[in-house]
Amino acid sequence: MTIRYLVFFAQVHPEFRLPELQSIAELYGFQVIKPASLPGVSENEIWNPSRPFWVIDLEDEAHAIALAERCILIKSIYELYGHGNTYEDVHSQTLACAHLWQRFKEDTSFRFIVTAYSDRIPMSRQKEIVDSFAFMDMRGKIDLKNPDETFTCYEEYPDARYKTKEDDGKNTLLHIFFGRLVTVGKARALVQKFDVKKRSYYGNTSMEAEISLLMANQTLASPGKFIYDPFMGTGSMAYTAAQFGAFVFGSDIDGRQMRGKGDSPGIMIAATQYGVAPRIIDLCTFDVTRNPLRCGDLFDAIVTDPPYGVRAGAKRLGRKESDRDRRVQKRLANPERELLQTTAQEDYVPPTKPYELSDLVRDLVRLARYLLRPNGRLVFFLPTVTDEYEAVDVETALCSGMEVVANSVQDFGNWGRRLITIKKTTNESFGSPFEDGEETDDDSKNHVPAHKDFREKYFKRFQKN
Amino acid sequence: MVRLITHNLLACHAKNCTQTKGFPLAFNDVRVETKEAEFNADFLKSFYERKIDWDALVGAAKQLGDTSLPLERPEMVDDDFLQLLHHVLLEIHVEEGEMICPNCKHVYKIRDGIPNMLLAEHEIG
Repeated sequence: MTIRYLVFFAQVHPEFRLPELQSIAELYGFQVIKPASLPGVSENEIWNPSRPFWVIDLEDEAHAIALAERCILIKSIYELYGHGNTYEDVHSQTLACAHLWQRFKEDTSFRFIVTAYSDRIPMSRQKEIVDSFAFMDMRGKIDLKNPDETFTCYEEYPDARYKTKEDDGKNTLLHIFFGRLVTVGKARALVQKFDVKKRSYYGNTSMEAEISLLMANQTLASPGKFIYDPFMGTGSMAYTAAQFGAFVFGSDIDGRQMRGKGDSPGIMIAATQYGVAPRIIDLCTFDVTRNPLRCGDLFDAIVTDPPYGVRAGAKRLGRKESDRDRRVQKRLANPERELLQTTAQEDYVPPTKPYELSDLVRDLVRLARYLLRPNGRLVFFLPTVTDEYEAVDVETALCSGMEVVANSVQDFGNWGRRLITIKKTTNESFGSPFEDGEETDDDSKNHVPAHKDFREKYFKRFQKN
Repeated sequence: MVRLITHNLLACHAKNCTQTKGFPLAFNDVRVETKEAEFNADFLKSFYERKIDWDALVGAAKQLGDTSLPLERPEMVDDDFLQLLHHVLLEIHVEEGEMICPNCKHVYKIRDGIPNMLLAEHEIG
C-alpha cells in the first residue's frame, strides 16, 4: 500500500532531479514509485522535468522525510489529497480520501496556505479558495505562526521560462494541487552554506555549491563511507561528501591547488570552516596514472571533476614528445645524477604532459573499476559538444563490470557538461589500468566521442573546420 | 595528516619497485601531532577485515612511538580493540618529515601534512 505525495522542486538542473531522487532512495533502501496514471494528466506530463510539481508514491512517510533531508532540489513535500484542473475535482478527491486527514479534524492547530507557482492570487480569491474547503470541517485552532499542520493549495501556471508566444498576456491555470505539508526540503539550505563566495579557500575552477552537493548525493555519501577524489583541486566535492558523513581521501598532481598559499593547506582551512576537517582523511600529491595506492577494492565512491582543459588542462607525468630531445635522453641515461638533482630539491616538480580528455575518461572508468568496492559509484563530469554528442560517447568509455546509472546534462549552449554516474556491478577484482600494459580489448576505440580534444574545440568556439 | 591509515595504503611505485617490495615506507625525521577523529565502527571494521596490512601498521606506529597495538593480529574485534585501532589509524598525524622506500630509497617528503608522492622522470616506467 503506497501513499501519494506531491514534491515541489526548485526549478534548476531539471535533468538532475530524477537521479537524485533515485540515489537517495537507493541509499536508504526504498522505492520512489512513478504513478502509472493520474486523473486529468496526460501520461507524458507525469514527472515532466520542466514542471515544478511531481506526484510520487511512497510506502512510508519516513521515506518522504528522508528524501527532503538529503535531496538538494526538493523545496517541500506534501501528502497529496487532491489535484486536477478544477476545484470540483480537487474537492471531490479530497473528500474521497478523508481517512487521511480526519485525524487532524478535532484538536490539531492548523493553517491554510493558498499560493501559486508563477503567478499571484489576490487576497480576496485566496479567501474564497480557503472557504471552499470548509467541507473538511477542521475544528482545531487556527495558528498562522506555528501550527501543527499546514494545508496548502497550489495553483500551477506556466513557468515564465517555458512560455510560448501564444501564452502571451494571459496566464493559463495548468493544475491545482491540495495537500498537507509533510516537510520542507532540509538539504536546500546547504546550497547557501557551501556558497563558494563565502568559502575561506577556493580557486577559479572550484565547483559551484549546488552541483557539488548534487554530486555528493550521486556518490551515496553517508557516515563511514570512504570516498576518493583523484583530481582534488580545491576540494569542492570533498566538503559536500564529508558533510553527509563520508571520509574523504584526495589527491592531485599539483599540490599547490590543495595547499593554497597559507601555512596550513587551504582545503583544511575550508574543511574546518564547514566542520568536516576530521573527515578529510588525507591529501596526497601524485599523478593518478602513477599512483602509489597498494591495493584496489578500497573506496565506496570516486567523485571528481576532471580538469578538462578550459581553465586548467589535465596533466600527467611524462614529457611532451617535442621535449624528448637528445639532451633529455642523455640525462635519463644517467639516473644517478638525475636522482641527486631531483630528490635533493625541496620543490622538485617533474615534467608533465597533456592528458587528452577521452583518454582520461577511459582511464578513469578503469581506475574506478580497480579502486571501487562492488556496487561503488564513480561520479564525474564529462564536458561535451552539444551538437556532436551521441549517447555512444559515454559507452566508449565503459568497460565490463561498469554500468551507467545516470547521465544528466547541464546545458551551456553550444557545449554542456554531463554528470555521469557509473556503478561497479561486478564482484570480480580488476587490476589497475596503469599496470601490466593497457588492454585495448574492445572496438569502442574506433568511435571518436564528441568530448575528444574538447579543449581545442572549445577555443575554436566549436566551429567545424 | 598522513594518518597511519594512509601510510598503510601507500607503496613506493617507482620503476622496479613493486607493491610488496616498496612497502611499507619507513618514516624518518617526523613531527607528529595527535588530533581527535570521528569514531565509526563500521568504517574501522571494514578496513580492518578487508584491507589492513597489520605488520605495516604495528611497525609504523612503533616508529612514531606508539606501541599500544599487539604484535599478533587479533582475531576478536571488540569495542576496546576498535578504540585502539581508531586511535592508531586515524588520530596520529605526521605533519612534517619523510617516508623512505625500503627498496629504492626514494624519499617522499611530507610538508604541512601533505606527502609528495610524485615520481621523478627517470623513475617512471
